[in-house]
Amino acid sequence: MCSIKVLLVDDEGDFLRTLGKRLSKRGNVVELAGSGEQALCLLERFEADVVLLDVKMPGMDGLTLLSLIKQKWPLIEAIMLTGHASVEVAIRGMELGAFDYMMKPVKFEKLYYKLEDAFRRKMHQEERIMAMVKNG
Amino acid sequence: MSFFDWLPFRKKQAEKTQEDLAEIRRTFATRYDHFRLLIQANSETHELMAELEEALRGFQPYGMHYVRALCTRISTSIFQMIRHLNELDQGSYEKLYDQFSVIQDKIVPHLESRQHNGEGKLVLALSEVGRDQADLCGPKMATLGEAGNKLGLKIPAGFVVTTVSFSKFMKKEGLEEEIDRLIQTADADDSEAMFQVSSKIMQLIIQSDLPDDVAASILEAYDFLCGSQGGEVKVAVRSSALGEDSEGAAFAGQYRSILNVDRSSLILACKEVMASKYSLQAMAYRINRGIRDEDVAMSVGCIMMIEAAAGGVAYSRSPMNIRDENISIYSVWGLPKAVVDGSVEADEFMVGRTVPMQVIGHHIADKEEKYVCDTGEGVCSVQQLTSRRTEPSLTDEQLVIIAEQAVRIEDHFGPAQDIEWAITKEGDLYILQCRPLMQLEGSPEGVLQSSSVSIPELTGGRTASPGVGTGPIFHVRKDADTLHFPDGGVLVIKQALPSRAALLSRCSAVITEQGGIAGHLANVSREFGVPALFGVKGALTSFEEGQVVTVDADGRAIYDGRITELLKEKPRHRLMRGSSVQATLRKAARHIVRLNLIDPDSLKFKPAYCKTLHDIMRYCHEMAVREMFEFGTKKEFVQAASRQLICNVPKQFWILNLGDGIAPEGRKRADRCVLLEHINSAPMQALWEGMQAVPWEGPPAVHTKGLLSVMFEATVNPDLNTTSSSRFSQRNYFMISERYCCLQSRFGFHFCGVEALLGDRVSENYASFQFKGGAANLERRILRAKFVGEILDEFDFKVRIREDNLNARLEGLERLSMERRLKILGYLITHTRQLDMIMTNSFEVEKYKKKFFEDFKMFHAVQ
Repeated sequence: MCSIKVLLVDDEGDFLRTLGKRLSKRGNVVELAGSGEQALCLLERFEADVVLLDVKMPGMDGLTLLSLIKQKWPLIEAIMLTGHASVEVAIRGMELGAFDYMMKPVKFEKLYYKLEDAFRRKMHQEERIMAMVKNG
Repeated sequence: MSFFDWLPFRKKQAEKTQEDLAEIRRTFATRYDHFRLLIQANSETHELMAELEEALRGFQPYGMHYVRALCTRISTSIFQMIRHLNELDQGSYEKLYDQFSVIQDKIVPHLESRQHNGEGKLVLALSEVGRDQADLCGPKMATLGEAGNKLGLKIPAGFVVTTVSFSKFMKKEGLEEEIDRLIQTADADDSEAMFQVSSKIMQLIIQSDLPDDVAASILEAYDFLCGSQGGEVKVAVRSSALGEDSEGAAFAGQYRSILNVDRSSLILACKEVMASKYSLQAMAYRINRGIRDEDVAMSVGCIMMIEAAAGGVAYSRSPMNIRDENISIYSVWGLPKAVVDGSVEADEFMVGRTVPMQVIGHHIADKEEKYVCDTGEGVCSVQQLTSRRTEPSLTDEQLVIIAEQAVRIEDHFGPAQDIEWAITKEGDLYILQCRPLMQLEGSPEGVLQSSSVSIPELTGGRTASPGVGTGPIFHVRKDADTLHFPDGGVLVIKQALPSRAALLSRCSAVITEQGGIAGHLANVSREFGVPALFGVKGALTSFEEGQVVTVDADGRAIYDGRITELLKEKPRHRLMRGSSVQATLRKAARHIVRLNLIDPDSLKFKPAYCKTLHDIMRYCHEMAVREMFEFGTKKEFVQAASRQLICNVPKQFWILNLGDGIAPEGRKRADRCVLLEHINSAPMQALWEGMQAVPWEGPPAVHTKGLLSVMFEATVNPDLNTTSSSRFSQRNYFMISERYCCLQSRFGFHFCGVEALLGDRVSENYASFQFKGGAANLERRILRAKFVGEILDEFDFKVRIREDNLNARLEGLERLSMERRLKILGYLITHTRQLDMIMTNSFEVEKYKKKFFEDFKMFHAVQ
């Protein structure tokens, strides 16, 4: 699969950097944000395909960030990745349009597959919208 | 509005433009994507449910964080399935969401943290404490208070920082949430990760400030204590944890105690003791005993230091043998710390429960060092005067006084007691702590004579925990060594330090050079049933790292190699049995695991009858497959998707292409057929090869009874009426994509389903097989299901059989192994036809089985 533009949002710096490095190594374009506010700023100039976001962060929390992203850039796919197990948050997030909800610790491979799947969905959506536009 | 109404080609069906075809392709791709993600969530849920069932069996330790994460993962996957199913048919399954929340509402309350109510005093004077305050003070301080205030025994003055203070501290600034997050994100099986998490949490607690009112109350109580004693005092700061009273887990003794603390260090010491709730050994202990983290609250006892001339531990009965009533007393010069730590060998005395009491046995140790209070703060170890080293640390009169008090305490509280005591220079006996003693049943078989087995490499020491264990030697000299400890290793250490208890769940035996059997490590070894031999001279230097030895703790001997005569078959220990964590999981699992929707043809196969998450999962999967079939066989799409298979000649199999399952040249064919060589689906090719590998011999020769059984069944079983149209008509369909294949077929009288995913993502690969029905009576059909099940079991399938309904599933194998198993499935589909007829004839059954396995050799084995 071709390169995916990924934005990682997490207040845990170590996690962010390690994951970012591994994703870049696989030929993806990665940007990092330490907070929800920073993520929104970045998205103004970075056309992400998939955003991987933490749920609990100081400042703007993940669910708020998610709904803002979906409002402004509905085609971006978002995956929640969190250390707090909560079905309520998981479902709320998916209702807001998140592609999936994953819990730390997660195997890199599994996370990567999820990113690919989210990216594939985005491609399909875009294709259909393009066709609709073309056909009026 | 149905999906078809807005498709552009609907209006001008006569001719499809390029654009229409592109739209069909896009529609298929999107639908297939949802279907694929649903199948993926289905697989994920399968795995998680299997994990949950394993956890319910209780052999593996786990904590509440695991339970919460597991249940959340399952719910999330199920929700995903509902979501994708609704995408497949424009929300006609919305009802499932309601059913999902009904079930969810039954699960969630069990997973929520039980909150300790934050009411009550922050600090209590020990003189006001009795058993009734166990909720506030933890059982250790509550019983100590009771022993002093009710029994009139001498206890040191002091105060208790209650669990209310602890809860307040944990609630402050989201401390508890952060701790939960740290635990949740660590892999409990990764010892290095657990080690880091433990120290991170402890640092976090120690660096956080106590709530102001808590800190003020502690210092106020301390000042009041000094006032009542007429001058500045030093205190011992000890843990008294609440919530470890689960069955069989009478005590952990895994927390910190800090001795000889003054005012300036008091607050820090309290925080350190509270932090020790998350010491590695305490966390491991809770996981292994199934104790929920949130149920454990730390209260902290601050009691005056006693300048001990001698100190130690008394057991009101034998910890090794429930039938032994004698009182055991372990004693050293100076503070009792050395006995409790298990760091040195102590004097051992036995006092008979007679009237009057009598000392009936002793073993005097060489007590090289002793612990005393440092002049400033803390304690230190000093060299013992040579003349007194081998002298008994207690007189007979003192022993009898201790024994009498031990029995009094036992009489008052009920169960046998484990008592920590100290005697001052003036001869005053103080009780420092008392708690229930866990006793073992004793070994009824008696000890094997060592000589009858072979010559031991090393003998001696004291039995700290009975039993025999074998494994490779592993020396632990420092904390870092514990990270590499092998599962099933024999732990060899110099001193019996309590912190080594974190390794016990993975040890086959423990050997120490020093340390007494009254220490924490010995206690926890007994609790975990790990054989332990303490005080074995030369243990550290006698064995090579990795050398396999057999430790006979009863016979006090260590042998080279594995001595099978000594190793009695030990039943696997269900660690989690009766624990509150397991109980919680069980309550939640009631709404998760059980499958009620078994029969897709039943009228009750509806969302409203989904009682568990498993039901929803089953329902979603079934409906998704149906949706895909029905959509693909709708007139508008037939040309695009469904074709009859030609393999030399046209076969009675139809192919439904989900996307990339047929090569371009195959798609060009105008006659709605497809050649096998144009099938571009790895799992279908493998399955088909198995189905065609050996021609079917035809139905087995049936003896009269078998035939009668068929005729009888035909009159009562509507499925056998071949004119009725059941699902997907009577045709055999393959639904395929490059990586996926789903076969639904009715072979004569039974239904067969295979579903497989075979691609680059090895972890997502799976094959599942469903088989049910038949023409013979139920007994024979059940026998056939079992027959097929046994064969599949040999090939690593997880098989479940309910009546004549067989479900087999296999996951995560790489391509070649997967293909081989698909071929075997294909073979079985062809050759188990009508075998139910002969199932009561064991000779025939054997014959077929032999033939099958002979034929399987064609599908060459791969490593």
